[in-house]
Amino acid sequence: MQKGKSLLVSMLGAVVLHLPQGVLEPEIPKQNPLTPAKVELGRRLYFDKRLSADGTLSCATCHDPLKGFADGRPVAIGIKNQAGARNSPTVLYAGFNEVQFWDGRAPTLEEQAKQPLINPVEMGQPSHEAVVKAVVALPEYGDGFNVAFGSRDVTIERIAEAIASFERTLAPFASPFDRFLAGDKQAISDNAQRGFTLFQGKARCVTCHEFTTSFPYFTDNKFHNIGVAMKGNFEQLARAAQSVAGKGAVTQESELAHKPGFEALGRWIVTRQPKDIGAFKTSGLRNIALTAPYMHDGSLKTLEEVMDFYNKGGEPNPNLDGGIRPLNLTKDEVADVIAFMQSLSDDNGGTNFDWEQLKELSRKTRAGEIVTAPAP
Amino acid sequence: MTQWGRSVMIFVTLALGGSLAALAAGGDAPRHQLPAAADGQSKVVGLCDGKTSVTVTGVAPGERMDATKAREVATELMDKYDATLQVAHGGTEHTSRELRVWEAETKRVIDDGYKLFHSPEIGTNGISCDMCHPDASNTHPETYPKFQTQLKKVALLRDMINWCIENPLEGPKLADGDDKMKALEAYILSTRKGVPLDPGKH
Amino acid sequence: MAKYVLPGERRRHEYQDQRERWLQKLPQMSRRDFFRTAAQAAAAATVAWKGFPPHSFQLINVAEAKETAPKFTIAYISDSHILDKGMNHRFIRACQKAAQDVNALDPQPDFVLFGGDLAQLGKPEELAIGQGILKTLKAPVRMMVGEHDWYLDMGEKWREMFGEPTYSFDHKGVHFIVLNSVIVEDYWTAPKMTPMQRMLAMAQLDNPNGRPFTVGEAQRDWLKKDLAKVDKKTPIIVFSHSPLYKYYRPWNFWTDDAEQVQQILAPFSSVTVIHAHTHQPLTNRINNITFHGVLSTAWPWPYAPQGLPPLTVQMVRADPFNQFDGCGWGTVTALDNGQVNKRYNLWDRNPMDVTWDDVSAGKKWVAQTDAQLKGNVSWPSY
Repeated sequence: MQKGKSLLVSMLGAVVLHLPQGVLEPEIPKQNPLTPAKVELGRRLYFDKRLSADGTLSCATCHDPLKGFADGRPVAIGIKNQAGARNSPTVLYAGFNEVQFWDGRAPTLEEQAKQPLINPVEMGQPSHEAVVKAVVALPEYGDGFNVAFGSRDVTIERIAEAIASFERTLAPFASPFDRFLAGDKQAISDNAQRGFTLFQGKARCVTCHEFTTSFPYFTDNKFHNIGVAMKGNFEQLARAAQSVAGKGAVTQESELAHKPGFEALGRWIVTRQPKDIGAFKTSGLRNIALTAPYMHDGSLKTLEEVMDFYNKGGEPNPNLDGGIRPLNLTKDEVADVIAFMQSLSDDNGGTNFDWEQLKELSRKTRAGEIVTAPAP
Repeated sequence: MTQWGRSVMIFVTLALGGSLAALAAGGDAPRHQLPAAADGQSKVVGLCDGKTSVTVTGVAPGERMDATKAREVATELMDKYDATLQVAHGGTEHTSRELRVWEAETKRVIDDGYKLFHSPEIGTNGISCDMCHPDASNTHPETYPKFQTQLKKVALLRDMINWCIENPLEGPKLADGDDKMKALEAYILSTRKGVPLDPGKH
Repeated sequence: MAKYVLPGERRRHEYQDQRERWLQKLPQMSRRDFFRTAAQAAAAATVAWKGFPPHSFQLINVAEAKETAPKFTIAYISDSHILDKGMNHRFIRACQKAAQDVNALDPQPDFVLFGGDLAQLGKPEELAIGQGILKTLKAPVRMMVGEHDWYLDMGEKWREMFGEPTYSFDHKGVHFIVLNSVIVEDYWTAPKMTPMQRMLAMAQLDNPNGRPFTVGEAQRDWLKKDLAKVDKKTPIIVFSHSPLYKYYRPWNFWTDDAEQVQQILAPFSSVTVIHAHTHQPLTNRINNITFHGVLSTAWPWPYAPQGLPPLTVQMVRADPFNQFDGCGWGTVTALDNGQVNKRYNLWDRNPMDVTWDDVSAGKKWVAQTDAQLKGNVSWPSY
């Protein structure tokens, strides 16, 4: 069972985010402290399809709780059945990432939440103003905004802050591996335990898929080119991208990230440094067994394919990260590492959230009240 | 002051007044060759061990010290003597044979470590430690334990040695207690003699 | 304002596909197969797979003053230290990576300098593998010898394969000189060392019994004669394995008769020494001579505890998890004013430029990263 301190405890004793012993708190932007009211408002907005242009898509469409908070597809399918260019990452534990998106173009969950709303191949709204208008037109949200933010005003910032607050709580720490770490040596199989050892040793995973007690999410939050999808005609793309004025303009980055062919540029889209071409953010590995297919373009269908990809030394390309090299793992060793990865799945697919209690809690919290207290 | 200390004090006091010969049980006693005072004009007082001495600034050679000053000098001599005394466990001095053996053994292990450090046989790809660490530079053994970014955990020097053997050198890591690991550590540490400990320094 | 001038279009995937298949086959390949397919790869390389890798993006500073306008560019690959341990060995792959990167430059450099230490132990097989890789280069190659190439057989194989180690040539108004600056006093004949023992002794950088590199009297005389015919205003570029100055004696980052060599070069108005051996970005200026180190493809040396020339912008120490970090290749661009701009193409890092403007301004910490600019990094990290 989980031990450790709670991040947020209401006067009613309910828990909103529960961290095991030794795990560092997520970095929360100062202007958006975590409160039950915001979390509840964010939960409602997260599931609300009316935020999209034609009322068919919500955050939960591509980040579906029943599919590991992803969508089981290689790339996301958005409004009017348009395919995007990137695989939907899971929202579980995303609150602990340093940056969001495969290319790290959003520095916070708040900034991330704003982009799919107006992405023409995702939720398809023409502008943030349109989103605000859509929410204003839904009278049932007025109270929610009032309690969460102190007034009934709806702004895109508030929408994003609420959704981000909800997302921050999606961190169950309820996997067999978590129980193993807490001391139950029977919680994962022997194979998985050997796999964990290999993960930190011969398989050379841990250096990029960083795992420590303080930060147990299996990502270093850095960007590496491992050679996935080396079909891109890079310098042609780079030239075309270069002609787009204004490095760092959020719309352009977001556009490029979804333009077929351009999206292969990866981190380059943000930094514009040639060494970052084809580099993508190290994915976390919690619930990885639930979030197939894999890689930024969903091109690897199973964990076996992923292991084979790494075992052979990735895909050669001029920018291949120097840390990638053939691993010479045996079939049994590969199976052990996969068994380990499978032990990282939260119980019930990561849906063990008492949202009824959250609603209750939110109703009882006074407007704008911030309640934080460490667990006894 | 101990019984022994008192005896020495008496000895020192007597020595101030006259020659050592007065106390010798007959025959020629060895003379303590006192070093000259650094400032060329102060009194130098020697201890009965024939080695330890103290310069008494402000007192001229041949001048008599009062009781308080004499006690100070005696205490200083004793402190200095304790510091240079090599006492073995059990209360007896180390023999010169022991000291020679220890030095030879330590040197041998360090030399073994030097050879391993420069050997392409630890790994399988012909790379040796001295390629990235000539003269063991850049090993910083004084900074362990620290969070080692390649391992993503807090490591000791030996953990990093094994990581390097497995990764850049593509060789089999050394088992716990392997003499080779001891030798490697001994060599690496020997290159940093005198460097203050700084665990955790990145 | 700097802007990227992007090279030509890539036309087809053919070269890349061929290369990929070739790389996959490497572990099982025999040496004979390797050379055969290496020739094929050279042919395939002429299919225009241009503009990549990223280091081939030519950064052109359009606001540069007229005197420092570029005249021509050469590339260098150096210190590959090839071991004959299977074609998948990381030193071989690194050398190939450098050759592929140079081949992808558009426009191509006027020639490629190989900076010495092609082999690790001077063995004929090692030299042959290295030669095979250099043969895949599209541009002409100029060879320079290092101690690892020389001391197994005192340069016999090297001369057979690559000709005399000491020579000069002229190119677009610049007089190039190539020296064998790794001559050391004989310390092997008396104790009757075998050739391999001699080679291993020379191969150990921190060998406490090592002797310092020299150019030697014979070559100094040759140099005087060679330069007698050269006008004092002609730009001179000297290729030398050892640095031709004194940096750190215990690691033979040193040329013992450096002052005498510098004296011979003193009357010339623009002299640049491009040297290898140190496996790190290094910059120095002594009187009229600028000294630039080159990168190794195989591994980086740390900066020495003393003697580092203050003009040097140090690269951040390499991450041993990354087999190519701290390594790479580079270019030297000869300028109208007779001086050079130097570029270090460090793999997995942004390219590092040391321009004539930097050197002449005595500018030290030319920023490699924003952190350096802000002074948030304390140097050195060694």
